[in-house]
Amino acid sequence: MATASETSVVPTHNESATKWWTRFLDPSERTLAVLLLAPAALLLALIIVYPVCRLVWTSFQNLSLTSGVPAEFAGLENYRLMLDDPVFWETTWNTVLITLITVPGALFVGLAMALMANLPFKTKWPVRLSLLIPWALPLSFAGLIFAWFFHSEYGVVNDVLRRLGFEGVIWFNSANWAFAAICLTIIWKTSSFMALIILAGLQTIPRSLYEAAEVDGAGRMRQFFEITLPLLKPAIVVALIFRTITALQTFDIPFTMTRGGPGTSTATLAMYIHQNTVDFLDLGYGSALAVVMFALSMCVTAVYLRMIRAKG
Amino acid sequence: MSSVSFRKLEKSYGALRIVKGIDLEIADREFVVLVGPSGCGKSTTLRMLAGLESISGGEIRIGERVVNKLPPRERDIAMVFQDYALYPHKTVYENMAFSLKVRGVPAAEIKPRIAQAAEMLGIGQLLERKPSQLSGGQRQRVAMGRAIVRRPQVFLFDEPLSNLDAKLRGQVRTEIKRLHQAIGTTIIYVTHDQVEAMTLADRIVILKGGEIEQVGTPDEVYNSPASVFVGGFIGSPAMNFAKGTVRGGRIAFDGGAEIALDGRVNGKATALEGRDIIVGIRPEHFGAAEEGRQLSGRVQVVEPLGSDTLIHFALGSSTLTARVAPEMRPQPGEILSIGVDPSRIHLFDAATERALN
Repeated sequence: MATASETSVVPTHNESATKWWTRFLDPSERTLAVLLLAPAALLLALIIVYPVCRLVWTSFQNLSLTSGVPAEFAGLENYRLMLDDPVFWETTWNTVLITLITVPGALFVGLAMALMANLPFKTKWPVRLSLLIPWALPLSFAGLIFAWFFHSEYGVVNDVLRRLGFEGVIWFNSANWAFAAICLTIIWKTSSFMALIILAGLQTIPRSLYEAAEVDGAGRMRQFFEITLPLLKPAIVVALIFRTITALQTFDIPFTMTRGGPGTSTATLAMYIHQNTVDFLDLGYGSALAVVMFALSMCVTAVYLRMIRAKG
Repeated sequence: MSSVSFRKLEKSYGALRIVKGIDLEIADREFVVLVGPSGCGKSTTLRMLAGLESISGGEIRIGERVVNKLPPRERDIAMVFQDYALYPHKTVYENMAFSLKVRGVPAAEIKPRIAQAAEMLGIGQLLERKPSQLSGGQRQRVAMGRAIVRRPQVFLFDEPLSNLDAKLRGQVRTEIKRLHQAIGTTIIYVTHDQVEAMTLADRIVILKGGEIEQVGTPDEVYNSPASVFVGGFIGSPAMNFAKGTVRGGRIAFDGGAEIALDGRVNGKATALEGRDIIVGIRPEHFGAAEEGRQLSGRVQVVEPLGSDTLIHFALGSSTLTARVAPEMRPQPGEILSIGVDPSRIHLFDAATERALN
């Protein structure tokens, strides 16, 4: 009588065919993982890796569409030019300054808004809606509205200042005032995004922790610094990463409010990239500037991620 | 350590009255358990005592002080929460030290106090861990440790065992009892579990619909339930109830069965004559059948538990449960005759559901 093992040693033609298909349809876990990840990896490569690589490659080329000369490899020439370019340094400094002012500004305003929105209002939707509206507005729209707010003749800001007995300010004639107006607008526009992320973080903190702290004898301030802030850290870091990266890419609001003026005193690196690539059609130099901006964003992200890991 | 008293304590949310005029005196060093089903107002009462909920009326005293308007930190109480409420970003040591730091206790005093509490609870080796690195039972002990180091006048426990599995619940229950014996502080403990109430309490307060149904020692509430509700709530399996009428010194059950009404309740037989009553019989108070003191019914389900057997049988329209010796194993469908000791049955008025004996 044939045993089970004997029958399996001599497979029929049909069985061997099944085996081949089985191997194809039932691959090892490793192969399966690669197969499953492949579409996503390919898509990522197509929409992220390729454009970034192409950008870096273009930054090493002398490629100006107005020169009439075909593109040629220029090595680090564009980067060398950048170092000697005062506008690059000014726009980079403006970008860093906008980041340094508006990110903490939006964080503090956003934190205050989130704490208010987290209060036990009977009707919650008006508070939540007031958080969403600035976030939902397009950046250029916010820029145009605030350009009117800060208009020296018809703006509401000067009107309020005059009613309070101050002199009106010609906001966009002075580099400092124009910069201040832009920063205030960016803080207004972006603090609601910070508030939404922080509010989500606040709602994950159990109420019983505050009750325990109250029984333990902690007052409101102590509860804020000992419970709320430490437990909000992950949400705050995530909000800071997003906000810092978008702050480094600031374009729409200064573009619609001042076009970078007076002079280039309020121009940002993103506006300078736009000017070189779109207005001057100098794709090589524009790409080199974009690579610098990309590197800046990556550095900031790395620092924040390191902070999260250190806290974890 | 201190006494606690509630006088006409009220809590309402708009028109909805949650606590309806509770009067209760809790002695110094007493272990009192507030027990009742969900929504009976037990947790609200505890939270009003802690100062976490405002009161709508009445008075709360801790010792001689009226604390109605005092914030929690000025009431000198410590509370163990249902979800432990340990600060997740602080170590066990920091959790336990927090209240002492807030109250300005010198650092030199904090360390020995935490060491003493940690030793008492067996958590000395966990002091550097974060709550996320602890098991449920360990977290529970840390929560108790955080309360102990404060040395408050009153300990409050809000369903502290409800997140633990059955085995751990038993262990921690014993630890809480041992803790009370060791430190002797007044404890007010809220639970919906009657086993916790019976095993831990010096006195049990049974709440129903925002009112006190009965206050008594575990023996009192078990042996002399003041109402159908208390009889059914205390004891496991729950007390059996069957409707009947008193006729000629006997209880005639709906469905035809009769037993003699003698023993403890005999003196009241005349007074109860003709009255509709509810008879309460605990499952463990059924015994050997005797003439005139037995009930008969068809067996529905038999549940062998090893230590004993639960028999569910029909009596008229009611289903009764008897806890009997493990070797007694009638078959479903059989007619069971089982004895009842009249001195251990409980009589309740059918209209008010309050105890008659």
